[in-house]
Amino acid sequence: MKKKNKRVIPGFGISMGVTLTMVSVIVLIPLATLVIYTAQMSFPEIIATITRGRVLSSFYVSFITAFAASAINAVMGLILAWVLVRYEFPGKRILDGMIELPFALPTAVAGISLTYLTTDSGWIGSFFAKFGIQIAYTRLGITFALIFVGIPFVVRSIQPVLEKLDPSYEEAASVLGASRTRIFWKVIFPEVLSSLCTGFGLAFGRCLGEYGSIVFIAGNKPYYTEITPLIIMSELQEFDYPSATAIALVMLIAAFLILFINNLIQARNTKILNGNR
Amino acid sequence: MYVELKDINKTYAGYQASNHVSFGIEQGRLIALLGPSGSGKTTILRMIAGLETPDSGEIVIDGKVVNNIPASERGIGFVFQNYALFRYMTVYDNIAFGLNVKKENKKYIDERVHELLKLISLDGLEKRYPSQLSGGQRQRVAFARALAPNPHLLLLDEPFAAIDAKVRQELRSWLKEMIEKLGITSIFVTHDQDEAIEVADEIIITNKGHIEQKGTPLEIYQNPQTAFAATFFGQTSQITNYQSFHSFPKVDNVDKAIIRPEFVKVSKKNEVQRFGPSASEGVVERVSFRGDSLELLVNVNDNQIIAKRGLEEKSIAVGEKVDVFIYRLFVTVGEKAMLLENQSLVDDSVFI
Amino acid sequence: MNQNKQSGFVKWLLITISVLFLFVMLVLPLLVVITQAFKSGVAAYLKAVTDKYTVRALLLTLEATLTAVVVNTIFGLFAAWTITKFKFKGKKLLTTLIDIPVTVSPVIAGLIFILLFGRQSLLYPILKACHIKVVFAVPGIILATVFVTFPFISRELIPVLETEGTDEEEAAALMGAGAFTIFRKITLPHIRWALLYGIVLCTARAMGEFGAVSVLSGHLRGLTNTLPLHVEILFNEFQYVPAFAVSSILVILAIILLVMRSVLEHKGKTTKKPL
Repeated sequence: MKKKNKRVIPGFGISMGVTLTMVSVIVLIPLATLVIYTAQMSFPEIIATITRGRVLSSFYVSFITAFAASAINAVMGLILAWVLVRYEFPGKRILDGMIELPFALPTAVAGISLTYLTTDSGWIGSFFAKFGIQIAYTRLGITFALIFVGIPFVVRSIQPVLEKLDPSYEEAASVLGASRTRIFWKVIFPEVLSSLCTGFGLAFGRCLGEYGSIVFIAGNKPYYTEITPLIIMSELQEFDYPSATAIALVMLIAAFLILFINNLIQARNTKILNGNR
Repeated sequence: MYVELKDINKTYAGYQASNHVSFGIEQGRLIALLGPSGSGKTTILRMIAGLETPDSGEIVIDGKVVNNIPASERGIGFVFQNYALFRYMTVYDNIAFGLNVKKENKKYIDERVHELLKLISLDGLEKRYPSQLSGGQRQRVAFARALAPNPHLLLLDEPFAAIDAKVRQELRSWLKEMIEKLGITSIFVTHDQDEAIEVADEIIITNKGHIEQKGTPLEIYQNPQTAFAATFFGQTSQITNYQSFHSFPKVDNVDKAIIRPEFVKVSKKNEVQRFGPSASEGVVERVSFRGDSLELLVNVNDNQIIAKRGLEEKSIAVGEKVDVFIYRLFVTVGEKAMLLENQSLVDDSVFI
Repeated sequence: MNQNKQSGFVKWLLITISVLFLFVMLVLPLLVVITQAFKSGVAAYLKAVTDKYTVRALLLTLEATLTAVVVNTIFGLFAAWTITKFKFKGKKLLTTLIDIPVTVSPVIAGLIFILLFGRQSLLYPILKACHIKVVFAVPGIILATVFVTFPFISRELIPVLETEGTDEEEAAALMGAGAFTIFRKITLPHIRWALLYGIVLCTARAMGEFGAVSVLSGHLRGLTNTLPLHVEILFNEFQYVPAFAVSSILVILAIILLVMRSVLEHKGKTTKKPL
């Protein structure tokens, strides 16, 4: 039996066709090139490339700065989301609108102005220079730029959850005599934990791949402030495509791993909330 | 038969939504598909509409097998559970939509829409958006929209579910009247037994993907053929040892007996009783006021039985010993149900 | 009483922390851009902004942004419609594929297109025969911009359409309406605001894209330089005033987009017609 009328709403063929064509041309084929290109390289070759000292230390720098920035953003994001959802105060809407600035402001602009701020003569840098702390051209500077980049992720992940959180939960807890700190840690925090993880994961992923805002502030000293995207960039400028590809592969795997772990956390969370359905 | 389903099967991800479903509907009748949620009633409706495709079996409308005819060409009107009114269109545009799609001429469309607006008594509100209407008004617009292209068959998915109780009553009689007036064959899905009894000419009871029974509301009420049909209607008491009541014939392999409140006569000890010898003694455990009557919960030989008592009768207190006489009951044997009359009633008619 | 006082203290403490944090992280950088841009006076600023190369870069940025918005809008509408209105196998895979461009580092995005169209690619001889230059040329920049912002519009539309369900479309289809009619009359009104919102986000990201574009541009001043790349060149040449002057154009655009974004978000929330 032919299933001609399997779909009620018309237009499946054409819309699926256009979607698949565009996904193929813009995402699938270019990504496939990367896979094909990698397949032509030998495994020892790839290993040799990615275990070079300079590359390994770039992995370390990228990881440690992205992690530190995301952790700080997790804490600040929680505070910001809380303030924006729970409190009323003048200027709240402006504050709320500003959160998205790192999305809208070109990274290169952010990069140069953050660098300018944190050099020894800049507004922030000169203050810290008095205590002998240098920000620009150090790992601290990279972290600083990454905090800027990651701000919106955590806030925007937690905000909707906090907004939906039924106040009767807290009321129930306080009627039962729980203290405010206890209510926060035992009632509110578990509710936002999974979205906090999502926000952290998104920020972390973005920070690992970030390039524009860091090139300027990092100073790009090998073994010290050279992040992985920078190494890929310099390999490309030397037309060493195999090395660039091998290093890119590691980053891709890391990105997918973060995505995968994030999905696991989400799946676990929905399981707890909805039972085993 | 105007609409006929022949051995329909449908499975969703391992769940059998339709299990060898067959039935036929005569032209011009108003049919209720009645069953608890998950019984497969909506699936049947959607398959008739063409919104779902059966895995096997045939659907026949007006003598034609419609399995391979697209939904839009089956000549049906469909009223969705939440009405699915086009929220960004006015009432007028909603009703006119089907006619516009068919490229009818403007003058005809205008006439037809106004005719329908009058029919649903919403003339004057054609410029409103669905969000500016009450629940009942929305339902009537959905009804008019479905009727606009003159369908031969009207399908309604839980037409009263989204309306509050008071308006629902009004709409039920309105809808029944409308459909009778138009003479259009209609099928509606409901999980509410009262609704089905009140509105439908015929009821089809569904349960776990198959048809339990089909018949007029009276037939199904008086003569349920399956255990499910017997329990689904009314507020029933279920007991295991019906033999503890006097004067009922013995049937083998009975699982349980089902007693409706109107099958029970509760008498005070000092009242005159016609069937005194066949009554059993019980103790009243609860008396609740139900508006038009009192509802009694009586314990008879460890069976809890619900009974009704008129407000004009002498009051009964909790803890009072009473006589309970059962006129008739249903017993179930496996999936089957059968009616047992109290023998003293039968003897009565014979001897007097 | 005591608890109220304490919670008032906590409230203002948290608000102060938030305001300070955002001031340092977000407001100061903007102030730096503005003050540095005007450091040598208005004349110097205007000279930098109206510089031949700046204008060229602005035009290229606009071209790439416009293309990205158009392509991704078309894609977003089709993809969102396909994903939310139909059941089919592999839907999850498709949504994952669509989201890949935002999870990938921009530098890698650039690398991918170099591998696809660059000198060592199998396509290269064909492209050369047709005199098409992708890498280190305008098409490469546009492609990279499209890639990086690929899911921006579809991911705004999908959640909206998902909550709308398919009832209205099914009702229209039952009455015999065609795909285009259903889309135009039934679906489109629901996603007006989300679509505009997506376009704003896509524009913001497209005009600011740096990493991917940087890989593919080859930094040919006046030819393949977008505004962000132009900023980089000026900054690296220690021409701070022009660098910040050019940046100020981008800052203004960013702020306009932010304001539009929050207006649209507000509109989207208030003009919904709940049933």
